[in-house]
Amino acid sequence: MRTIKTIGVFVLLGILFFTLNNSQGSIPPLGKFLNPFSGFWQNGTHLDDLVEVIDVKGLRQEVKVVWDERQVPHIFAENSYDAYFAQGYLTARHRLWQMEFQTHVAAGRVSEIIGPKAIDFDKLQRRRGLLMAAEAANNKMNEDPNSQLILQAYANGVNTWIEGLTPATLPLEYKLLNYEPEVWSTLKTALLLKFMAWDLTGRNSEMDLSVIRESLGEEFVERFYPVHTPRLDPIIPAGKPWRFDPLIPDAPSPVFEPQFIRDLRRDEPDRDNGSNNWAVAGKKTASGFPILANDPHLGLKLPSIWYEIQLHTPEMNVYGVSLPGAPAVIIGFNENIAWGLTNAGSDVMDWFEIEFRDRSYSEYWYAGDWIKADMRIEEILVRGEEARIDSFPVTRFGPLVHYGEAKLDNDHPVGLAMRWSAHDPSNEMGAIRSMNLASNKEEFFAALETFDAPGQNFAFASRDGDIAIRHHGKYPLRGEDEGKFVRAGRDTTGEWRQWIPRDQLPYISNPWSGYVSSANQNPTAKGYPYYLGWDYDDYERGSRINDRLREMRKIDFYDMQQLHTDNFNKQAQLMLPFMIKQLEGDTTSSDEEQQILMDLKKWNYVSDPDEKAAWVYKQWWLHLEQAIWEDELTLYGELRELPARSVTAELLLSNKRSEYYDDGRTPELEDRRGIIRNAFYQTSSDLLSELGPYGDKWAIGRARGTDINHLLSVKGLGRTGLFTGGGSGIVNATKKTHGPSWRMIVELGDSIKAQGIFPGGQSGNPGSLYYDYAVDSWVRGEYYNIHFLHSPEVSNNSKLFLTSLRNYQ
Amino acid sequence: MISMLTTLVLVFILQLLFYYWWWIILIPLLLGFLEKDSVSRAVLGNGLGVFLLWFGMSLYQWNKGGEIIVTRVVEVMGVGNGFVLALVTGIIGLLLAAVAAYAGFSLRKTLIKEYQIS
Repeated sequence: MRTIKTIGVFVLLGILFFTLNNSQGSIPPLGKFLNPFSGFWQNGTHLDDLVEVIDVKGLRQEVKVVWDERQVPHIFAENSYDAYFAQGYLTARHRLWQMEFQTHVAAGRVSEIIGPKAIDFDKLQRRRGLLMAAEAANNKMNEDPNSQLILQAYANGVNTWIEGLTPATLPLEYKLLNYEPEVWSTLKTALLLKFMAWDLTGRNSEMDLSVIRESLGEEFVERFYPVHTPRLDPIIPAGKPWRFDPLIPDAPSPVFEPQFIRDLRRDEPDRDNGSNNWAVAGKKTASGFPILANDPHLGLKLPSIWYEIQLHTPEMNVYGVSLPGAPAVIIGFNENIAWGLTNAGSDVMDWFEIEFRDRSYSEYWYAGDWIKADMRIEEILVRGEEARIDSFPVTRFGPLVHYGEAKLDNDHPVGLAMRWSAHDPSNEMGAIRSMNLASNKEEFFAALETFDAPGQNFAFASRDGDIAIRHHGKYPLRGEDEGKFVRAGRDTTGEWRQWIPRDQLPYISNPWSGYVSSANQNPTAKGYPYYLGWDYDDYERGSRINDRLREMRKIDFYDMQQLHTDNFNKQAQLMLPFMIKQLEGDTTSSDEEQQILMDLKKWNYVSDPDEKAAWVYKQWWLHLEQAIWEDELTLYGELRELPARSVTAELLLSNKRSEYYDDGRTPELEDRRGIIRNAFYQTSSDLLSELGPYGDKWAIGRARGTDINHLLSVKGLGRTGLFTGGGSGIVNATKKTHGPSWRMIVELGDSIKAQGIFPGGQSGNPGSLYYDYAVDSWVRGEYYNIHFLHSPEVSNNSKLFLTSLRNYQ
Repeated sequence: MISMLTTLVLVFILQLLFYYWWWIILIPLLLGFLEKDSVSRAVLGNGLGVFLLWFGMSLYQWNKGGEIIVTRVVEVMGVGNGFVLALVTGIIGLLLAAVAAYAGFSLRKTLIKEYQIS
């Protein structure tokens, strides 16, 4: 009896141990996690403490690090190896979990961390070829001794930091998810760069447009999905002559109806990934020096997507933001130049339907013959389960991402292959390094030679007085509209064989207007000889920036801050008076509706956070868009890509009657006035039931606001309910979970002056004082003055702290 | 009292030197096994020893720069406040140590009975 009882107690003890030593669903392993000696209790602010000397294995010479009051490290190294080593070491100190987790996401290795629920995601991620692309880029970058040096130095720095970790100092998220960091490699940096490329260029509407063309016809697509949308104010002002002999693309591919795309659901990066940048010449500024400004709009997360840093060596002094996981500075300035990026938005991803010989998918039809595909075999490790093996063919048109169920008449299966410029080997790291070192316009744009993807608008300003902008990337040579639809991958037709020469890409330097700008709009007006794509952002942001820059004189930092945080809604200015007019003479509305309408009439189109009309207008417009398009564009059970806002606006403004106003699903015949009125009443009734009586809760800052969630969306680790204005089509493109991820203003005078802010903090530790300190200031539209240091001298500034990293063998 | 202090000091030193959390099982198991007479002394001594250690250490960490992390984890786990979280930490320690001590004590009794070990 006693023996049985003892065994019973041991079994109970075993169960308790097992339960508390392992994660249970989303609950962390409580024994480990709550252990006050190495669990979460150890992730407090003492990890923020700075020390005067650290012995670091692997440095070549001593490195001095000056920390400022926001814990931005200013690295002073004697050679570039040490500078990038220290960057890796210090970035890992603040952001190790984030940088590693993002590379797991990129590589399709999430199942290793969270188990079988991520297997489908991992499979898709691998079929998209992110890992394949990163391997190619890693090989290419390691062929260049300069890139190789900085990537390896950075990796060594990260690994030295990892070696020094203890179970107690491990970042919180490892404790929550119960795993440990692995060795960092140059491949991981390549993965991170490809992940960014995917985020910025992975959006693609070809499948939708093919379905729309098939159902509604060629004319519908031509009319409502144009390359040049109404009111476009392009990056390169219309009328600029293009003085070169353009290459002539092959004849366009014949119209092709793909077999199985109707059932495919889109799973793509956010449409709202966009940005603003501009540069103004000295003749327009108060100081007489050029000013450059940039604010990339990305998904807002904690830890922040950017890490601020200064790198100083005998050859270089550069400051700006880096991507945790990649060496060098991506957006920033040095002693002579400043640069900012916005997403180019040109089409660098095409889909091809491939016909296979049989279900083995090992051979496909190409130019009259069966060609062997390279089979890529992927092993997906799964936490707590056996590894899965996934294999997919890689064709001349890229990896096969989607497998078709439908069979061709001849019983040959089909699939969709994805051709993406980021799959090709490229050396962006070499370009970024050279940008950091460049001292004038010529050197800067020459540095871009090895920058292929993701395509960006590079705005530039220099102390020499130059300003310039270039729509840059690796773009295939295509005929008009090629790449708008899924095409047949059966022969050379439509295959990417030539590229637009770099020196013929849209570019302008020192225009008479005294400014250059971009906001993800189509870079050129009609007349530019190449077709780059069609799915750009609408005109509003770009046009508003140009309006303001045109008017401004004696520009200073304050003016640039005002423009960054400009909440003027150009689209409302265009449409609201017209929409209100349609409600005239309406006697049916309630008192509350009258009040709402009154406020809309009084509204000055500025979407400040406390503005109720801003939110009502936004919802009214969305209801109106739906009323027009939902019946036509709900195809095969899915609402497809809507036309651009400006296209719908143009339809409404210039057509009193249109077949599209009628909802084909109802017996009545709807007209323009009717749908605008219905949309208004629908909006007010929806908002009344969602938000309660008309009042403060209807303000855009409350009804929408902004949530900055933790990367894992763990409640309690993010900052939610932020009181923000702005929105889509507004220069301050702040939305629910998207927005300006880094605001930077740089004046290139005798001494460089700069301001910047991002909505988060330097540290990735949720228990740190430096995790989210900037969020409230960012919401208020404030900036920090940047310390751009020239020496590691700290004695005359009490806000600075010096740490020596001593090389320790 | 002595058994409680023995547990507290031993586990404290081992946890400081080696980070494993399961010292709070291993040491009470061992001390429970070495306890000859009183089951309540084994269970209470070890349980309270670990409780005091984990509860006290949690309060110490909370006080030593842990304000922010504790506030966040309180929200993540939905447990009210930092004091409750420290209490939960202590009680989990108590539970494991008590069961482990009881297991150790029972093992000894079983061995004595079955194999006449004294």
